[in-house]
Amino acid sequence: MKEAKPQKKLFFNRLMLAFLAAIFTISTVNAQVKSVTGVVKDALGETIIGASVIVKGTKAATITNVDGAYNLNVPSEGKVLVVSYIGMESQEVNIRGNVINVTLQNVDKSLDEVVVIGYGTAKRKDITGSISSVKAEELASIPVSSVAEAISGKLAGVQVTTTEGSPDADIKIRVRGGGSITGDNKPLYIVDGFPVESINDIPSNDVEDLTVLKDASSTAIYGSRGANGVIIITTKSGKEGKITVNYNAFVSFKKIAKTLNVLTAPDYAKWQYELAMLKDGVPTSYEQYFGSYNDIDLYNNVATNDWQNQIFGRTGFTFNHNLSINGGTDKNKFAISYNHIDDKAIMQLSNFKRDNINFKLSNNPNKKITLDFSTRYSGTEINGGGANEQNEVSSTDSRLKNVMIYPPFPIKNLTSASGMTDDTEVGNLYPPLVSISDNDRQQKRTTFNMAGSAAWEIFTNFRVKSEAGYDNYQNSDYRFYGTTTSYSTDKTQTAPKDLSGLPAIVLNNDFRTTFRSTNTINYDFKKILGTDHHLNAMVGQEYIIQQLEEMTSNVQGFPSFFNSTNAFKLTTQGTATSTDNYYNPDDKLLSFFGRANYDYKSRYLLSATFRADGSSKFSEANKWGYFPSAAIAWRISSEPFMEMTHNWLDDLKLRFSFGTAGNNNIPSGQMIQSYQSSITTYINGFSSIWRASKTMANPDLKWETTTTRNIGLDFTLFNSKLNGSLEAYLNTTTDLLINFPVPGSGYETQYRNMGETENRGIEATINWVALNKKNFGLNFSANISFNKNRINSLGIMNDYGQDSKWASTDIGVDYWVAKGGSVGQMYGYLSDGRYEVSDFSGYNATTKKWILKDGVTDCSPVIGTLRPGSMKLKDLSGDNLVTEDNLDRKVIGDANPIHTGGFTMNGRLYGFDLSANFDWSYGNNIYNANKIEYTSTSKYPYRNMISTMADGSRWTNLNADGTINNDPTQLAAMNANTTMWSPYTKKFVFSDWAVEDGSFLRLNTLSVGYSLPHTLVSALKIQNLRVYVTGYNVFCLTNYTGFDPEVSTRRQTTLTPGVDYSAYPKSRQIVVGLNLSF
Amino acid sequence: MKRIILKSFIILSLVAFLSSCADVLNAPTQSSMDESFIFSTPVLAEEAVMAIHQSFAEQNSYRGRFIPYYGLNTDIEWYNTSEKTTDDKATLTGYNPKVSDSNMNTADNAWAKMYEGIERANLCIRGLRTFGNVQTNEQLAQLLGETLTLRALIYNDLIKAWGDVPARFEPLTTSTLYVAKSDRDVIYKQIIADLAEAESLVPWPNGSTVTSSTERVNKAFVKGLRARICLAASGFSQRPDGTVRRSTDPDLTVEKLYPIVKQECLDIINSYTCQLGTFEQNFRNLCQDKVTAGLESLFEIPFSAGRGRVLYTFGVKHKTNDQYTEQAQGGVNGPLPNVFYDYDKDDIRRDITCVPYYWDFGVQNGSKWGGAYQVPNKISQWYFGKLRYEWMRRVVTSTNDDGINWQCMRLADVYLMAAEAINELESPSAAAPYLKAIRSRAFPTNSTKVDAFMASATAGKETFFNAIVDERALEFCGEMLRKADLIRWNLLDTKLSEARTKMTALAYRTGSYADLPDKIYYKTAVDGESLVIYGLEHGNTDAEGAALNYPTNKGWFISDGLNNLTDDKISSLYQLDPNSHQFWPIWQVFLDSSNGTLTNDYGY
Repeated sequence: MKEAKPQKKLFFNRLMLAFLAAIFTISTVNAQVKSVTGVVKDALGETIIGASVIVKGTKAATITNVDGAYNLNVPSEGKVLVVSYIGMESQEVNIRGNVINVTLQNVDKSLDEVVVIGYGTAKRKDITGSISSVKAEELASIPVSSVAEAISGKLAGVQVTTTEGSPDADIKIRVRGGGSITGDNKPLYIVDGFPVESINDIPSNDVEDLTVLKDASSTAIYGSRGANGVIIITTKSGKEGKITVNYNAFVSFKKIAKTLNVLTAPDYAKWQYELAMLKDGVPTSYEQYFGSYNDIDLYNNVATNDWQNQIFGRTGFTFNHNLSINGGTDKNKFAISYNHIDDKAIMQLSNFKRDNINFKLSNNPNKKITLDFSTRYSGTEINGGGANEQNEVSSTDSRLKNVMIYPPFPIKNLTSASGMTDDTEVGNLYPPLVSISDNDRQQKRTTFNMAGSAAWEIFTNFRVKSEAGYDNYQNSDYRFYGTTTSYSTDKTQTAPKDLSGLPAIVLNNDFRTTFRSTNTINYDFKKILGTDHHLNAMVGQEYIIQQLEEMTSNVQGFPSFFNSTNAFKLTTQGTATSTDNYYNPDDKLLSFFGRANYDYKSRYLLSATFRADGSSKFSEANKWGYFPSAAIAWRISSEPFMEMTHNWLDDLKLRFSFGTAGNNNIPSGQMIQSYQSSITTYINGFSSIWRASKTMANPDLKWETTTTRNIGLDFTLFNSKLNGSLEAYLNTTTDLLINFPVPGSGYETQYRNMGETENRGIEATINWVALNKKNFGLNFSANISFNKNRINSLGIMNDYGQDSKWASTDIGVDYWVAKGGSVGQMYGYLSDGRYEVSDFSGYNATTKKWILKDGVTDCSPVIGTLRPGSMKLKDLSGDNLVTEDNLDRKVIGDANPIHTGGFTMNGRLYGFDLSANFDWSYGNNIYNANKIEYTSTSKYPYRNMISTMADGSRWTNLNADGTINNDPTQLAAMNANTTMWSPYTKKFVFSDWAVEDGSFLRLNTLSVGYSLPHTLVSALKIQNLRVYVTGYNVFCLTNYTGFDPEVSTRRQTTLTPGVDYSAYPKSRQIVVGLNLSF
Repeated sequence: MKRIILKSFIILSLVAFLSSCADVLNAPTQSSMDESFIFSTPVLAEEAVMAIHQSFAEQNSYRGRFIPYYGLNTDIEWYNTSEKTTDDKATLTGYNPKVSDSNMNTADNAWAKMYEGIERANLCIRGLRTFGNVQTNEQLAQLLGETLTLRALIYNDLIKAWGDVPARFEPLTTSTLYVAKSDRDVIYKQIIADLAEAESLVPWPNGSTVTSSTERVNKAFVKGLRARICLAASGFSQRPDGTVRRSTDPDLTVEKLYPIVKQECLDIINSYTCQLGTFEQNFRNLCQDKVTAGLESLFEIPFSAGRGRVLYTFGVKHKTNDQYTEQAQGGVNGPLPNVFYDYDKDDIRRDITCVPYYWDFGVQNGSKWGGAYQVPNKISQWYFGKLRYEWMRRVVTSTNDDGINWQCMRLADVYLMAAEAINELESPSAAAPYLKAIRSRAFPTNSTKVDAFMASATAGKETFFNAIVDERALEFCGEMLRKADLIRWNLLDTKLSEARTKMTALAYRTGSYADLPDKIYYKTAVDGESLVIYGLEHGNTDAEGAALNYPTNKGWFISDGLNNLTDDKISSLYQLDPNSHQFWPIWQVFLDSSNGTLTNDYGY
């Protein structure tokens, strides 16, 4: 963009110009044949002083004068005039006639911007594939702990979902929907060339550049791992120049963003009484804990405990600071940074700490050789068990449940066993704080990464680079199971000496090391092909070995008063029941790859890549996978016929790409059925057994392959004031790798290649610089992505259902996977409100049953005993009966949004800056499982409910005298104003009532900063000092009735997205921080 | 240009060479062992065979689902809470099971665990046959025989519960993952042959160190199981077309299979490797974890001390933790109320089998008694007394598991099977000694009654058969053999409807129950815990009872003017026609995951 030139400089330029003009005029005097004159202007019509005008292929040259005019004698062989000026794009004009006026365009910085691609970089203008990136500057304004969180809503085609509100929440990143059905849709993460499992431990401050490769022509260079997109992170490295020191710090305060109302104490007591009467016909189970019904008035004076406030109500506090030092000479450059975050979460007993150290060194012993070295350390400590966890099969130990539905006042003698009839979890209600401390967890993760590389330009433009790296990851995950947990009370873990019902711990230690060796050769054919043709070729080889060792120890039977701290530290007080040190088979990957980029006059671009990967995960016959791709691009704006548009169109490029990439993201060792030794505590006389793995081997496994076709249009307009791109894609993934459940076969699951899915979509990104003046500026950027997922084939399988299991076995299949459908289709009943009195012909006092009228749908197989007020469902099978089989259920929701996106506004005014980041999701459904659990009883007694079911809203059957009303007329009158059904159901029922619109628009961050004037800070030798206040999760516009619409808590398979069950509630934050650089 | 290409080529080929010289892409499994080594090494192979028991002991497998629920309800046993007819456990046991039964419809249910056991057995059989030198190594031979037997045991149970089921006798491959049900006759023939092979591989009880424990398979059990399976294979059962009939397979006729039953049973009896002992001793041994082979027990599923819910389900109820147990459980299932009255009063099996009380604390003279004592229940709810916490030598502390083994077969069964087969093949008189052995044990001091009984029983073939039918009820009540017996005899509906009639008569005290008094009169014995009770026997009267001046009495049949044994409870014995619901449906989760190869027959 064109900067407003200060007047002083202008004067100086004119002076210089006059001088230079004089010299040039003299030197070209003798070669004169023909004289050409003209004026050089910029796009805004301002004359350009000092632009150089050269006759191509000759020595004839001049520069424009103070009026922007030139006068040049052209030699006879001269055909083309080259006009250039710093900061502007050079232009070549054929010499015709004597007056040639030229308008120069500003060079678009964004076009010359270097973009990271796999195993190299390229200029943005030369990119042929689909690539999005975020730079350090854009991340700087978002004070969050991890880079994964920072990119939310920033990139078209990249959906970032923070699955819960906890500080260590899983951040789900999906590039263009993800191809797999149940496989791992996680993109490949590459940090400084190294493949890593997660980017959650990378502080946003350390990131120089984050690039997402979206289409196969970009990802094919990563071959067997690129199918779900590639996210490449480059951390900050040293820059030539004076040493700069940056210090950033922020503190944040956060509070729970939303709470839900629960029944008051008297209402709760009243409902418990009605429930007891409905269930048993006698109030015994009520009187046991609540006393006589005659005294129920006493509960009017009992205070209602606000458990949400007690557990999630504290003010969270985060302190984050970051120090980085950066500098160097042309020979040595270095960067070092330290980052520390300490986060006290809103949930009791939980906090989060992380330290990062990043060190990079670069050395150029001579012009031909570059040596790089880097180390990265990250240490994370997470305390607290969160609100739920993924490896629990059922929801038995979910913590939010206790917070929401534990009785609102203390009840004497209500223990874990209350209402329990056997092992089917009937009681299972624990004081929220006990439930949290009994599910305590302590996780420590350490990553240490070291990498070095040497690059040697053996001869001009021929570079050989050799890289080697080592990555060490250790994760210790200590889980405590107090006396109220199912792990402790249950059954499956019982040891020979009876240890059940006592505290237990599971200590899990993972050690993972990865070695990487990469060699590449790069040759730029610049010298050979002349100036119009550009060809750059790269070939390479890579070898990666990953070793994983998992150590799991179970210690049970601690003294009953032990808490997590005691148990983790005093393990000998318990009985060690199992120690399993498991060495996974190594994961080895040998690859050969190559890429060629060719362009003709930067107008026609072609790139082709090829990668061959050999993986130890597959059998001999299927070991090698080959992944070719090609892309072409046409720079329309560079065509001569587009010349007339040059005053407004800076760049216009049409791209098309086609290619394949793979996915091998399955555990090693699936080829043969291996025998594992495992501990047994079940069989007399034996302490270990040999058994086949519970995952069935599949020797026929091969790569999953994704083929993508991408068409894109990039444009830059009005002197780069407006740029953007538009893309459409069609991805098909075949031979999906799926860990498929095979219950009843003898195994639990089997990895297989199965079926085909398709993702098609459109993405648009636009950036607009509305104002850019010295003291004020304003720019906007926005992106939107539409993605449509479709299952084309399920291979040998028929359509099948998947169980999210939040309610253990109560609900059964609640997602449907069908050919022609998409992943994430919710499956359940259609709600039909409730049974009214008019649905019954009357009450039979002898059988104590209400008699349904003929022709009224009978839902009793699902709801249980029917009476007026019972929940009613629609009969779909046409037999007037709603049963638990699949005939009365259908697809009732879709977790896939129609579109997602984000927009950002940045403004500055003198020292002040303002930025606002919005993101949204539109058209997705949420499966509000919390709502089901908090409004119906299932088989469980003594649970509280949310105010949806408050007295006055819910159907009531209770007479004032404590009897159940069975008189049709009275019952109808009593419920004339109630709107909800009666909460009493046999089981939890998933109907479309619990499917809610999950669309939202969130003002994710709103930041106001102020940079102190230079005049003020320079006295203190400070380059820049900025203070800011940021609001995080400022508001969220949504119709969703749960805690937060950005949620997905049943993540054991990707088939059950969008379930809101026991998610750690999100918080609203205020961040105060400063950026300081010397 | 040439130079460049050359140099590039050299460098690349060097790299490629360096990479490919070693086994670059070879990544063998590490924390695992090769099949060939496991199955040629007895200690390891033994642990592989034990993995089958692991499948039995999983939460929703034999432990928590198959053993507690399969054998119910019959004319002698029921789920003690059958009257809660909408409860899934009552529908499951009351011949009205649901495909989505909440106890059974889980991916880790007995069905899955039984097939897991079968897969583990199939792998062991393949491994032992391929790598184990069973001809010369006795230990490996025993293991092969044991595996064949355990597989037959699981298949027999699968057929008992589900009728036709998929037959898998080789380790799974992707191509055999989804298979349809096969005719039960195919499976029967295979397992009858397998057991014949196993007999040659496994020693008699105490014939080797391994077979000195009833927790390991011995020849007596192999033969006994073969006899049991032959009876079932040649007996009646409901077929997918809805009919209840015997097999039409020429190899599975009574004529072909009863001789095997006879031979196997006589082999066991005449081997003298096992002995009957007293009736009570067998169950005391079971409760005391005595697993010495050579007594009555032939084989038990070896639950460890902290695993299994045998006593939890079938034991005498303890309402609270007390001096005998820290697990307040028992009494989930119990005998029908009429069973007590079906026994002769001198039959020692009666009071061991039918228990009218539970254990509880109580308040006496205003202060808490020192320990729990027996408290009489009511006519409608009885407990099996063959398993008692009070007989155990250890105190159970787990809340869910008691560690009592599941006795799969005892010698009395062999005697009665022998009697049944010989009666069919030969004559009542030829069969008589084997019935008499059992009857005499039940009346140790009353040989006159035994002789009278035998005289009437041997009157004819049918009379003798009926005597066997009744004797098996009295002998095995609570051992979950009855349902399969009734099915193979085609007596399921007859006997269940008889039981309803009997219970109704009992509830209203008509017919043979008319002489029973209204109340029971009881006191706690001097030991402070045993119940002294009057009023249960025929001929007892309220007048005599009141005259005893016991501190407490209560209505046995009637409380608050209503029958304790309600019509609803009586009719809950079976909710639908038992004969057309002989089997459970295959649970929804397994239908869903069968890729359309499994369907439910029998009207589900």
